[in-house]
Amino acid sequence: MLGSQSSDSIEYEDQTPSREVWANGVCMKTSEVEAKLDEGNIQEAESSLREGLSLNFEEARALLGRLEYQRGNVEAALHVFDGIDLPAAIQRLQPSFSEKQPSRKGRSRGDSQHAVSQHAASLVLEAIYLKAKSLQKLGRLNDAAHECKRVLDAVEKIFHQGIPDVQVDNRLQDTVCQAVELLPELWKQAGCYHEAMSAYRRALLSQWNLGDDNCSRIQKAFAVFLMHSGVEAGPPSLAAQVDGSYVPKHNLEEAILLLMILVRKFYLGKIVWDPSILEHLTFALSLCGQTSVLAKELEEIMPGVFHRVDRWNTLALCYSTVGQNKAALNLLRKSLHKHEQPDDLTALLLAAKICSEDSHLAAEGVGYAQRAISNAQGRNEHLKGVAIRMLGLCSGKQATISPSDFERSRLQSEALKSLDAAMSLEKNNPDLLFELGMLYAEQRNLNTALRYAKRFIDATGGSLLKGWRLLALILSAQHRFSEAEVLKRKSFGPLRSVSQVGGDGVNEYEVWHGLADLYSRLSHWKDMEVCLGKAKELKPYSAEVLYTEGVMLQGRGQAEEAMSAYITALLVDPSFVPCKILIGALLSKRDSNALPVARSILSDALKMEPTSRMAWYYLGIIHRVDGRIADAADCFQAASMLEEFDPIENFSSIL
Amino acid sequence: MSEDGSSSEETNTPTTSVSQDTSTAETTAITTSAFNIHPETPSSSSSFNTHLAIQSLSSILTTVSPSLLSQDQDPAFYLLHNPDISSQVSSLLRLPDSGAGDNNLCRWFYDTFQSSEPQLQLVVLRFLPIIAGLYLSRVALKKPLAGFEAVLLAIYAHETTSRAGQAVTVNVPDLSYPSIYHESKRPPKDNDAADLNLAVISPSLEPHGTVRSTRRARIVGVALELYYSKIYLMPVGSKIDFCEFCKVWSGQEGHELQDDEDNVEFQDNQGNADKESVITEGRIALPWELLQPVSRILGHCLLGPTRDEELIGSASAACRSLYSRSLHDINPHAILATRSLLRLSKMALDPKNNVDHTEIPMSDVISL
Repeated sequence: MLGSQSSDSIEYEDQTPSREVWANGVCMKTSEVEAKLDEGNIQEAESSLREGLSLNFEEARALLGRLEYQRGNVEAALHVFDGIDLPAAIQRLQPSFSEKQPSRKGRSRGDSQHAVSQHAASLVLEAIYLKAKSLQKLGRLNDAAHECKRVLDAVEKIFHQGIPDVQVDNRLQDTVCQAVELLPELWKQAGCYHEAMSAYRRALLSQWNLGDDNCSRIQKAFAVFLMHSGVEAGPPSLAAQVDGSYVPKHNLEEAILLLMILVRKFYLGKIVWDPSILEHLTFALSLCGQTSVLAKELEEIMPGVFHRVDRWNTLALCYSTVGQNKAALNLLRKSLHKHEQPDDLTALLLAAKICSEDSHLAAEGVGYAQRAISNAQGRNEHLKGVAIRMLGLCSGKQATISPSDFERSRLQSEALKSLDAAMSLEKNNPDLLFELGMLYAEQRNLNTALRYAKRFIDATGGSLLKGWRLLALILSAQHRFSEAEVLKRKSFGPLRSVSQVGGDGVNEYEVWHGLADLYSRLSHWKDMEVCLGKAKELKPYSAEVLYTEGVMLQGRGQAEEAMSAYITALLVDPSFVPCKILIGALLSKRDSNALPVARSILSDALKMEPTSRMAWYYLGIIHRVDGRIADAADCFQAASMLEEFDPIENFSSIL
Repeated sequence: MSEDGSSSEETNTPTTSVSQDTSTAETTAITTSAFNIHPETPSSSSSFNTHLAIQSLSSILTTVSPSLLSQDQDPAFYLLHNPDISSQVSSLLRLPDSGAGDNNLCRWFYDTFQSSEPQLQLVVLRFLPIIAGLYLSRVALKKPLAGFEAVLLAIYAHETTSRAGQAVTVNVPDLSYPSIYHESKRPPKDNDAADLNLAVISPSLEPHGTVRSTRRARIVGVALELYYSKIYLMPVGSKIDFCEFCKVWSGQEGHELQDDEDNVEFQDNQGNADKESVITEGRIALPWELLQPVSRILGHCLLGPTRDEELIGSASAACRSLYSRSLHDINPHAILATRSLLRLSKMALDPKNNVDHTEIPMSDVISL
């Protein structure tokens, strides 16, 4: 209401003054008064107002001040207001109110007196408020803040119990609301940030009877100030802390609380939609990694507030941030549907990236990547390299589950071609070096892979753990175990500090498990047990851990216990290939009745992971025991070829 | 202006011995004392420390006379805000081998920070954007960096001590329970209740005596967290330095803009950094532990209470670059954070959102 009118204010300057003042039922044109003011004759202007409208001195001054303020003569307005003894006026107002509040007798007389006093209060407070505004416009921000603070102090003195909801003069309430909103703004502009903080808290924690819009604007401004001023507000005063209610303990918490309250006010229809509130909340929650909370907020927003595709895409970003890629992909599938926005580049790239991490989705990802390539035009041309890179990654991933050799090598060479092409567009992106290294390693082209892994570590200054892991695995594949172990220790630090490893896509569990795996290769059963224990604490029901435990038991000669560990692991994850191989191996050593079972389980394993040397080897043994010598020879040959390139862990374990 | 610094730089024999080997990051011996910080220094020695710091700085900077001590102003304040000193220190810092272990200026930064004089520490933090910026960008270039590392480790150690190694957490509110700002029908819950939605915004800190390559981002990130906590005391120039390095770090030009004028500005700025073609060479990995403090600092520059036009321009350019980078990385977390900053800065400039609600209604009829 206020805003729409204030925006017109400038126009008055040019118009011939047609203002009029009303008081005591009398109307008066201001042209005569204004002429006197222009001559600098305040006294005469004042007396003509007093005579024309039968006003007292203060009323006339207040009217004059407002008139000058509206005419844009803030300096003159200030001069007029200075003529009123405002502290005395406030003093006079106090007793009439404080005596009034408790007494309930003589109601009708009391009410009329009440109204008169409120009117007087309104006049005085408006005068002080306009004085503050005038000072603000003159750039005297500190003085302005002090005047504005006087308005609030006076209100608190006059209304001991807070402003009553009913029976309050509208104009008085307006002035109070504006002063409450102005004060923190003035302190902020004056550079007094701590005063601004307490002014905001005073605005929001005391009873001012603020309107919804008014209150929401202050809450938003305070949230922004808390988020971005860089000044720590400190905890709210104890007086404000109602027993048991949530008290934010620092700026970020307080800002998030306020923003969430604002979003809820919108749900409840109390305020109109303000897109900046959601952006502020997005920023705040992504700072603390709580994008799942953000997703919840987004899901609660009514349809129609913003476009559904935008909502889906933002939700996908939220879910993907916290690793819920399945949920993210489902949303992206909706938003990339041909009837929605099938060409949205960010959505296409994110979908392709999610697909590139799962061999069963890789084929779908190839489609997204190809669409991304054809849409990377104009302003988005710079993302072409990224799209091509995604195509490479998806093809490479697709190759890993390809049923035929021909298809696999076709996909692999396509992947290489894409990554090379991406490299020429994204020269300064070291991630490509890593990805090429991975691809070569998976193809068992270890020397080339080693070269890329080293280049990646150089380019990133060795700051990314995954680079060291890749290097360690390649070295282990080349059977340079001691170098690999040195590397692992170096990149992960001494055992005790492993818990510090975090972020960077490698979690603590993976590190412990990786180390356990390495020690198992070196047959250091004791070290291995320690690492395994740590890994198990973090993930008690993981097929990997159970498998590694089985390896350890088997290594110590406890074959039966090992077998039960493998079987449990398979129950946890039926597609876990290494377990199948070792079950097959254990079975192949038993009597001949077990051989068919061993054979089928190993064939099954090879279908899933054709490069498994151990599977080929044990299959060969079974064929030999069964007397199929030629088959056995083929298997052994495959195994021996693969042996040269076998890392201690699957390369895909890095991603 | 770089000539001024050349005399002090000549005393600086380029040391290849401490050059950065990425797999075995090392620092000079001075870092070991980084953990012996005595937080409380008697206030009487305060001006003495400042005096000392200024004297030793004036021996490094050729044109600063020690006479500045006779200024009426607080000398530490003068050090922080004087543009001449800033530009001299900046150009010395930007020399190719400035990060070496025996660099005078790095040693001055280290000693000054270790003085534990809060005002002097602010002076060191003022240059953190350049130190961190050059440091991270030069890691891959195999330049000597032990001097920079010593300063960064000292700042990291200071933060570790003052935080007692504790993590910083955020308890994301649940609106179904009442708070100081709203009511709710549900009864207030026990503050000890276990179902708090707790998020770690800065994990716990452990002491580091050297910069291990995989901890590098974290160490610099923590230093930037300290910078952020003092950012309202920093001169605008320091924040602009920071924004410039964000663009360098991103390795991207801000593509996602409506109008291209900022690209032109960006090209101009490259002129200062002459020999290093920063846009390709300065690109660094931007893990969240680095990007988070970076986003907070940029948020302050864009949306904070000091509305400085040059700073806002520089910060939005930095933000566009980082947003562009987050798209190249397809990093959803970074996309969300930088995109919301970009949108917010655009909204803040929109006059539609800048209606002054504290203005009184102007009408032709004024009534009493």
